[in-house]
Parts: sequence; structure tokens; C-alpha cells
Amino acid sequence: MNLNYEFPGEETGYAFGFLDEYAKKEVRRAILKAICIPGYQTPYASREMPMGRGFGTGGLQLTLALIGPDDTLKVIDQGADDSVNAVNLRQFILHTCPGVAATEKTEAATVIQSRHRIPEKPLTEAQVLVLQVPYPDPLVVVESSEARRKTMHAEGDYSRLLVKLYEDIVRFDEITISFRYPTRINGHYVIDPSPIPRWDVPKLDQSPALVLLGAGREKKIYAVPPYTPAEPLVFEDVPFRVEHFLDGQDRRRACVRCGATDSYLDEFSNDQDAKIFQCSDSAWCSERLSRQRREEVPA
Amino acid sequence: MGYVAIKGGRAAIDGAAAAAEFLRARDESGEPLRLSAIEHQLRLLTSRVISEGGLYHPRLAALAIKQFQGDTLEAAFALRAYRSTKPRLMALPVQPSTSMRCIRRISSAFKDIPGGQMIGPSYDFALRLLRFDLANEDPAAFQAVARRFLGAAPPADLPDSFPKVLDALRGEGLLPPVAASQGEPFDITREPLVFPVSRSAALATMARAETGSLLAMAYSNMRGYGDVHPTVAELRVGYLPVLVPHPVTGEPMEAGEVLMTECEVVAMYESGNPDALPMFTLGYGACFGHNEVKAISMAILDRALQKGMRDGPENPSEDPEFVLLHVDGVDSMGFASHYKMPHYVTFQSDLDRLRTTQDKARAPRTEVGHESKL
Amino acid sequence: MPKLKAHMATHDLWLPPMQQLLFRDLLHAFSYPGQVRTCRAAEPMTWLALLAALLDGEVGLADPHGMVPAGQWPMLEAVPSTPERAAFIIADGARALDFEPRLGSLESPETGATLLLRVAFLGEAAGAEHLSLSGPGVRDRTGLAVTGLHPSWLKARAGWVAAFPLGVDLLLCDDCRFAALPRTTQVQRRGDKWDM
Repeated sequence: MNLNYEFPGEETGYAFGFLDEYAKKEVRRAILKAICIPGYQTPYASREMPMGRGFGTGGLQLTLALIGPDDTLKVIDQGADDSVNAVNLRQFILHTCPGVAATEKTEAATVIQSRHRIPEKPLTEAQVLVLQVPYPDPLVVVESSEARRKTMHAEGDYSRLLVKLYEDIVRFDEITISFRYPTRINGHYVIDPSPIPRWDVPKLDQSPALVLLGAGREKKIYAVPPYTPAEPLVFEDVPFRVEHFLDGQDRRRACVRCGATDSYLDEFSNDQDAKIFQCSDSAWCSERLSRQRREEVPA
Repeated sequence: MGYVAIKGGRAAIDGAAAAAEFLRARDESGEPLRLSAIEHQLRLLTSRVISEGGLYHPRLAALAIKQFQGDTLEAAFALRAYRSTKPRLMALPVQPSTSMRCIRRISSAFKDIPGGQMIGPSYDFALRLLRFDLANEDPAAFQAVARRFLGAAPPADLPDSFPKVLDALRGEGLLPPVAASQGEPFDITREPLVFPVSRSAALATMARAETGSLLAMAYSNMRGYGDVHPTVAELRVGYLPVLVPHPVTGEPMEAGEVLMTECEVVAMYESGNPDALPMFTLGYGACFGHNEVKAISMAILDRALQKGMRDGPENPSEDPEFVLLHVDGVDSMGFASHYKMPHYVTFQSDLDRLRTTQDKARAPRTEVGHESKL
Repeated sequence: MPKLKAHMATHDLWLPPMQQLLFRDLLHAFSYPGQVRTCRAAEPMTWLALLAALLDGEVGLADPHGMVPAGQWPMLEAVPSTPERAAFIIADGARALDFEPRLGSLESPETGATLLLRVAFLGEAAGAEHLSLSGPGVRDRTGLAVTGLHPSWLKARAGWVAAFPLGVDLLLCDDCRFAALPRTTQVQRRGDKWDM
């Protein structure tokens, strides 16, 4: 052991964006190829990050490779900016990327990193959405070997996946996949859109913004380019259905906070054991609420 | 009409950190652990973390163990994350393990071997009886242990290095000759595993794999989910000199040494080439630190995977994808832990599906044909 | 002095801040094929700035027309390679095509090459060729005017990208602008009936 060795006194300078430049370049090259091959899972040498695999390291590496001091960042988990995972990631990114501004307003962000939701507010060409992915491969439900799955994707052979969907219909009269709904991109590769609910899948189709998906543990990056067809797998007579949020009398539930009947709702029980429904997208909900309050104030 | 406050995540995270730190410092009359105490008195724990972290830095490994209160998965993870931030200076040429300065070197294949069976520091023959005299160890007595051992040690008459047992077997034609190295070693920190992978990629993956995961897989093979039937030709533990080319002359210079464990097993013979004589097959395992069970497990799995890659896997331990994708502690621990994160949006989606399905099951069914749109 | 350094850093195409900005422009270019971006690095060899942003020692670069100045090879760090094997190729779009780049494989389509072509001008100009683009990233159709692109390139491209996911991804560069044509973009020459 080198007797002259000294520990650094404190956290000494990490590179901007934590990752070294070679790591960033590799991610950047993978991103560009992913855009050129819509829906294809591009392999990359995912680096270890200080938060656990499964906590968004894939999405994080995408964001760190993209982001610069003139960006404004929004990070959400389950639709909420204040969810612990989102707070943790946002703090880390701001700490390692000096100059980056943070926002909770969807429309003010240039880079949005999200786990399990796409914001309700439509995105624009000036924005990039980064989704965190645990399982990049929709075929994992029918084939456990990665090598065999790769061949199936290469050959566009999704027959076993369709059989699984068909079997669901025969057994349950419904396709039982709730989130991670397999979606075909540009008429070719079928992707796992990450654990977003079915409610969010239509937002991928012809999106003005680029959508990037990063799986850190599985070491894959894939993309849904802007203005590209993204079609959930269906059968002719079993249409794609989003979550309905209907109550027992077939009325669409509303958010208890802002009254929205057009957003994805979180369901939970309050202290009196009553069921409450509230917008999952906290920024959407807050914006509606503040608009209502402004309207309530007499002119 | 109550609604859930949507602020507070930051405070929760800070509170969790404070609670964990409190537990670490719970022993109010205690001394903070010194890193050298962890490095030496818990040397095998430190070796494990160095090996699974994939970064040879015993002092930092001790720090990680201290910070994460002994959790080897977290400590190895912290070491890997630290490594991620370090720029790569150079790639060294392959280092020969014959130059290892051994502290332990044994063979099960032969009663005696050139250089002798050196048992060295081992608990293999110790009785697993708790030593209660360690409960209240007298510092003076503790400090005297090392002095006494070194004082009683005879003057060194050991060779600096030992020949490889396998070379003797090769000399007799019982093992195939060492094949010339083909190309560069696979760098798992730069390239993702895309199956089928090379043996180099498999070995690199296993070298920093989580010990328990490797052991379970190897054990399955030993017990019959496979037929490696190994004999340990040689197990050596020692300090490998690290040779770095001189920046000007290019001459190899010793920059330091790393503690390593290396295990070579000989397995059932096979007649690979119908024209050639049958020979023993070889399994190889090596890792940072003093980790014997890991090195043995790795050697058995190396043999099993070579067989699986050539003939197709007949058992999980022979299947490269099954083994190599599930033995990395950082990946597996991270994913297991991630289930603790909020999943209520996806769960809400599940609730919607299940309720719809239940509604349909209660309602009368009509038969419809289904044809895929695709 | 620190202020000057910071200023230089953001303008030096070999330093991370500029490379991040260039990458964002490339991201936009590939996401929205045909949209012309102005290279923010003060470097008339636009393609060099883009290569500096993307390349390192892990990738191969082919330079069949000898465009990379000798002193810049070590800066790029890329491994010199041939057009048939390289991941990145820089070529003079005014000259006729005389090689066959990597198209990738069914199982690894990302190994299809990225080809940077120097052209005289991107944008409206007398004598410009007008391309009509459609496909991912393009809302309906968009136009791209190019001057100084030898017809052999787009002709060959039609064959390279005919069997998706195989293909080559193009970056057209003049002395201050660039535009991307990923393999998924359908290119038609105005006035021509045939699809490219």
C-alpha cells in the first residue's frame, strides 16, 4: 500500500454531469442510433451510478448525457415532482450539473425525466422526454433468453406475444396487460413503453417531442422519434382501452383537488377510510387549481 | 374534503438518512471504527467487497464497509460507483500469475507438489468452536499476537514464486497446451454483454460477481445439475506484482501488488478431437482479495459454461445467459431493492384491469371471433 | 482570467461544454430530419466539429478522401479505419461514391455506419436540388435544398436503406450548417417520380 496515499478531503470535482466524457459519448452515440432505428433496443455499457439499479440509472444516464447549463429540468415519479425518487434524482442532477435550472411546470422544462408517467400537458419540439425503464423488452413475458428474443425482434416475429394476448382474451375476455403495454413503433419494432399506464400510451403516437427510454440495469437505450406512429398491439375486434375511472354508476371520477375528469388519477383511502381520487400529475393538478383560484377572484 | 399534501419528499429522505446515521453511532460510549481495524481485523470481509466492487483499494473498501454498516452489497456498490468517476489512465498488458508472491498454495490433485503444499492462513482445519476469549480482548495481548508470530517465523527460505501444478500435467500431455491469446480481453466496463459471449467476458463478469450468487450456481452443478466433477489442481492466494510499462523506455516496472486468489480445477476428460488423445478439461477462477470459495465456484462455473457454450446448456449452471446475467450483486441488489419504490400508478392500472375483468366474469359472456389486426 | 477561460471553454470544440451543445443540435437534427441546424462552433469544417463531439477511441473513422487534417487525428482519438468497416465515415459529397459502407445486421442494426458528407450548401440557392422528405420526425412532408451533392450518394442510399432495420444514417454538412437523414427518412427528388 502506498504510504503516501491520502484520501480526498471532500467530494472533489466530478466531471459536469458526473459521467466522464467517454461514458457520455457512448451514450450519445447510442441515442443517435436509437433515433435512427425507432424502437430498437440499442445496447450500451451502462455505468454504475450512486443510486441503485432499478432506481432510474438508465434514465439518469440519458439525462446526464443530454443536459447542459442552459437546460431546465423536470423530474417526476408516479407523476409527482415531490415523490422521493424524483427528489433524489433531481438533487443529484442539479448537484452534478451546475447551471441547470429546475422546474415543476411541464411547459417550462426542456428535459423531463420521468418514472411511470407521461405528463398530461402535451409536449413540444423544444422538449425531450426521458423515461426510466426496468424491462426494455416486451418479449420477456414469452421468452426468457435474451439471445432468442434478439432474434425474434430481428425477424419481426412477435407471434408468441400475440398468442399471449389472444390467450388473455380467451380467458378473461380482455387483454390483461395494464401497464408496459406492447406498442409497435413505425410499423416495425414492438417496444415495452416502460411501466406507463395505458392512459399514457397514446401520447407516444405522433408526439412533437422526442421520447428516449433508458434501461440502466439491462443496458439498453431505445427511442420513439417525434411524429412517428406508435400503435399499441390490438386485435380487430378488441380495441385498445385506457383506464376508465368510472364509478359504480358509470360516471367518470373527478380529482378531489382540482375536479379534473380528463387526467390519470391516483386512488387511495383517507384517514376516514373513504376512497379518494386525485390527479397523478401533480403539476397538472396544481396548475388547474391555481387557474380556478384566479378565476374565483372578482376582476 | 381532505387531499394529500404533495410536498415532503425532501424531508423524508433527510429523515431516513439521519435515522440510519443514528443507528450507526448508537454505541454512545464507543469508538468510531478505524479503517485499518476493518481492513485487517475484518480482512476477509474487506476482500469480498474489493472483489465485488471491482476496484482494488482496500482502504476505500474498508470505508465503504464502515459507511454502509457492514452491508456487503451496498459497500461493493459504493466502490463501483466510485470507480465510475475515475478516468481510465491506461490498459495494462496481461499479467502472468506465475509471478505471484504466494501466502498460500495448495493442490488437492497430488499429495505433494514442487515447492510444497503451503497451507498458509486458513480456517480449513480449524474447529468452528466459538472463542470466548475474543469477547473482551485485551489490547496489549492483541498487539502482542503479531509481534510473537513474526518473531517466531523462521528466516525466509521460500522461493519468490512457485511453478504451476498444471504445467506438470501439460508436460505429460494430460492437459491441452495453453492456446495463444486471441485478441484483447473483453472489457465489461466498456461493452455490454451481447450473447453469445467470449470466455473472456464470462470470466470478467464472474470475477466481480456476488459471492453467494456464484456459490449457489456452482453448488447446483456440484450436486448434480451438471457434471463438472472437479479436482482442485491448484489454489493460490498471494500478491501479484502489477507491471506498468515505463512511460519512456516501455520496460515493465512494478507499480505495486494486488492480493488475489486464483483457482485452477481439472475436470472430467473428454476427447474433443476424434483424432487426438482425450485430455483433462480445465476450469479457471480468479478474483481480487482473499476469496477462496468465490474462486473455486468461479472455476467450476467456467468449466460448466465452456461446456454449455460448446454443446448447449443442459443445466442452469451451464447456461451463459442464466449465469452471467444473474450473478452481478450491484444489478441484482438494485433491482430487488427497487420494489420498495412507489409503484402506485402501475398498481392503479392493475386495479383497473382486474376490476374490469371481474365485471366481465360476473356479466353473461358472448362468443366473438378474434383476428389480429397485424 | 477565469471569465476568459470560461468563454473559451464554451467555444472550444474539443472541450465538453461545446460538445454537449453540439450533441443537442445533432439530437435535434436526427429527431427532425431535414431541419437545418447552424453549427455553433466557429469551425468552417462543420463536419469536424460534429466528429469531435461524437468520437473517441472506441470507434473507427474512415476518411477515404483525406479530409481530416493530420494534426486533428490524435484529437479525435478515433481508430483510423476503412469505409467498409468504420462506424463513422467522412466523405466529400461532391465526389462520386466509390465504397460500400457498413449496413449493420438484422441482429445488430446499430452497427450500420454514420456517414458525414460535405456539400457546398444547405438551403435555398440557385441550382439547388430540392428534396422532399417524409417519415419519422417529419410532420407529413418537409423540403430540404442541397447544392453540391453528387447524385450517386442518394441513389446508393436508396439501396442501403431499402431493407430496414439495416441502413446508413447520413449527416449533410456545408461550412456552417448541417442536416440529418436517418435511414428511416424517405427522400424524393422534386420532379422525379422515383422514391429514394
